[in-house]
Amino acid sequence: MSTFKKCCAGLRGLASPLLLVAAWEAASRQDASHAYAFASLASIGAGLRELSGSGELWLSALASLQRTCLGLLYGASLGTLLGAGMALSPLAARLVGPLFHSLRQVPILGLIPLLALWFGSGEGTKVLIVALAAFYPMALNAVEGFSQVDPRYREVGRLFGLGPWQHCWHVLLPSALPSLFNGLLHALAFAWVSSVGCELFLSTGVGLGNMMMNAEAGARMDIIVIGVLCIGLLGYAMNLLFSRLSQRLLRWRPLRR
Amino acid sequence: MTAIAPPIPPLALDTPGALSIRGLNKHYPIDGRRLPVLQHIDLQVQPGEFIAIVGASGCGKSTLLRLIAGLETDYEGQMQLDGKPIRGPSLDRGMVFQDHRLFPWKTVFDNIALALKHSRLDKAHVAARVNEHIALVGLQGFEHAYPHQLSGGMAQRAAIARALITQPKLLLLDEPFGALDALTRVRMQQELQRLWIQQRSTMIMVTHDVEEALYLGDRVIVLEPRPGRIRHVIEVGLAHPRERNAARLQSLRQEILGQLLSQAGH
Amino acid sequence: MRRAFNGQPLLWLLSPAALLLAWALAANSGAFPVQLLVPPQAVYHSFTELLVSGELREHLVASLSRLGLGFGIGAVAGMAFGTAMALSRNVEAFCGPLFHCVRQIPSIALIPMFILFFGVDDVFKVLIVTKAAFFPVALAACEGVRAIPRAYFEVASLYRLPLRSLLTEVALPAAAPTLLTGLRIGLSRAWMVLVATELLAGDIGLGQLIEMSRQMLRIDLVMVGVLLIGLIGFCLEGGFHLLEKRLLRWKPL
Repeated sequence: MSTFKKCCAGLRGLASPLLLVAAWEAASRQDASHAYAFASLASIGAGLRELSGSGELWLSALASLQRTCLGLLYGASLGTLLGAGMALSPLAARLVGPLFHSLRQVPILGLIPLLALWFGSGEGTKVLIVALAAFYPMALNAVEGFSQVDPRYREVGRLFGLGPWQHCWHVLLPSALPSLFNGLLHALAFAWVSSVGCELFLSTGVGLGNMMMNAEAGARMDIIVIGVLCIGLLGYAMNLLFSRLSQRLLRWRPLRR
Repeated sequence: MTAIAPPIPPLALDTPGALSIRGLNKHYPIDGRRLPVLQHIDLQVQPGEFIAIVGASGCGKSTLLRLIAGLETDYEGQMQLDGKPIRGPSLDRGMVFQDHRLFPWKTVFDNIALALKHSRLDKAHVAARVNEHIALVGLQGFEHAYPHQLSGGMAQRAAIARALITQPKLLLLDEPFGALDALTRVRMQQELQRLWIQQRSTMIMVTHDVEEALYLGDRVIVLEPRPGRIRHVIEVGLAHPRERNAARLQSLRQEILGQLLSQAGH
Repeated sequence: MRRAFNGQPLLWLLSPAALLLAWALAANSGAFPVQLLVPPQAVYHSFTELLVSGELREHLVASLSRLGLGFGIGAVAGMAFGTAMALSRNVEAFCGPLFHCVRQIPSIALIPMFILFFGVDDVFKVLIVTKAAFFPVALAACEGVRAIPRAYFEVASLYRLPLRSLLTEVALPAAAPTLLTGLRIGLSRAWMVLVATELLAGDIGLGQLIEMSRQMLRIDLVMVGVLLIGLIGFCLEGGFHLLEKRLLRWKPL
């Protein structure tokens, strides 16, 4: 009885997506002008077979993912360093802080035209954009993490006479770790969005964004839908992976926040 | 702290707070089973009486208070205040919680004024009443402080003022001083006693502090846990204000502690 | 934010001033082509030119009105939907999964789809901004309403608060901190997405100013646009922080 009820309760959640898909499909069958905007499920399926058969989908997704990871690596490491520096040294915070806080207000995607003019529209520029996107949230969270180290733990570190590096490794880093992971999750989301986003603007190269822009030019709604779903799914999967990883690494923490 | 409050006009209540509880039972559903929390509670409270309820944790004393307040309405048996059955919260029953439950976004003044929202008083009268009650609990000068700026004792004073401003026939106190330090607690007990002598409204206080119960209560009711039952009713029989280390209080304290400890033993 | 601003004001100005100086020296040194690294005075000159001709005002009005409209609709709808999801199990069960699925899709990724649907006009831009604002606000409203302690409602029922007081004096302030954070996130995302859509399509707006100038290789104008976008983002966020501080002044620091 109760399992049956639970099944029904779970099924209710499927109602609205199914309704949406059904409405979409119905709209595609209205007439030619509708079929242009609403690609039918069959054509989306055909598009998927075509894209995966030619390998374009895998290549595009791989290119976008690769750039995200590379940019994330650069941006997050630099962000952590700067954040730690600003949190641990008041002088650094006063010197660099204002510049950092004013520069981070510029939307990353708005910088693309400028960066493209300076550095060209190749892969290097795109990685730079992704790295910048990952840099700001990481640095912000690193500042928060390293400046919130409980003074009581610092005192314990002092009592045991830890050297500066030992202090960093055993006291500061673990205390800052929850914030760092939080920052990494944010940085990942920003990196993914900007990786796809810069492909929309810079038409050279490969990537899911390029695939979608070409599809837009050719009015291929089926490919656009596939692109949107791919971006959503991959973003979700990376987020899941990272948050599982952080849960595992932070398992010493009490669950209640 | 010991500011002498101006005398406030005596209350003109027609039937001031006689509580009658007969055959009260309360269950909680747990995993589809009915877990008894309170069993066959009978209690008659005279108008103007101070009742203190003590018992081990988990004996249902807070539940009893919440039932009287009308915060929980699912029970068996009879509960009447001045002959009228209790069906839900009402302004003739005030309540003070262990956590002061002041709204953090309101100043002391606004928190207390909130209790008069239902009334048709105009602004000037509301302000006069609120200031009167702020003075009554000795919080002059803190009208515009936010709760996080108050000490635990001051926040509890504000909560008491909020509960008293509606002039309830019956004031329910759920371990009001449980979270305070020992010294503040003693001061607050004296203050409460002073308020009770002035106001003459019925008060029922739940506490786990036997000394507090004996110092304040006309009668002390000892509850027994699992399910909560009345084990013993003790008439203190001393006039107020009381001497804290009166011999009778000391001997009663030994007796009650003995009862509570024997419960824990089995 | 606060940490950045206390301390001596001179020290505060030091790093931006140093950057400006470095920029001016590098641009005027002749080591880089002037077309690529425009000196600050040229950027300022272009800025005043745009300002005087009234062109800048047009772009600003276009961008900000799109932002206001899209964010307004998105935020109001988000608050309504989030509250409904927090209060009703049915809404949560029926709409929750779809909501959380669509939430995963970055607004930017939807740009090509929306262009095919709605063309490149204002409708498309306002709708994208609405989408960008809706989800964070709805999520925050849902969490904020859910996190209101039951104890507050008990106190409200003890004093028989009228419904209006219950909503405006108890429920709203209790949910406000979470809600305001959601609104702030929604606003900054909306601004970012709006700039992106204007870069990609359209005839007027700050993003379009940048894109057109880029095509004409006018780096000075591109920089005016970028600086303005940053300034507006800064003002929006700063203004919201001030608002939050004013509304939440009852919170312990």
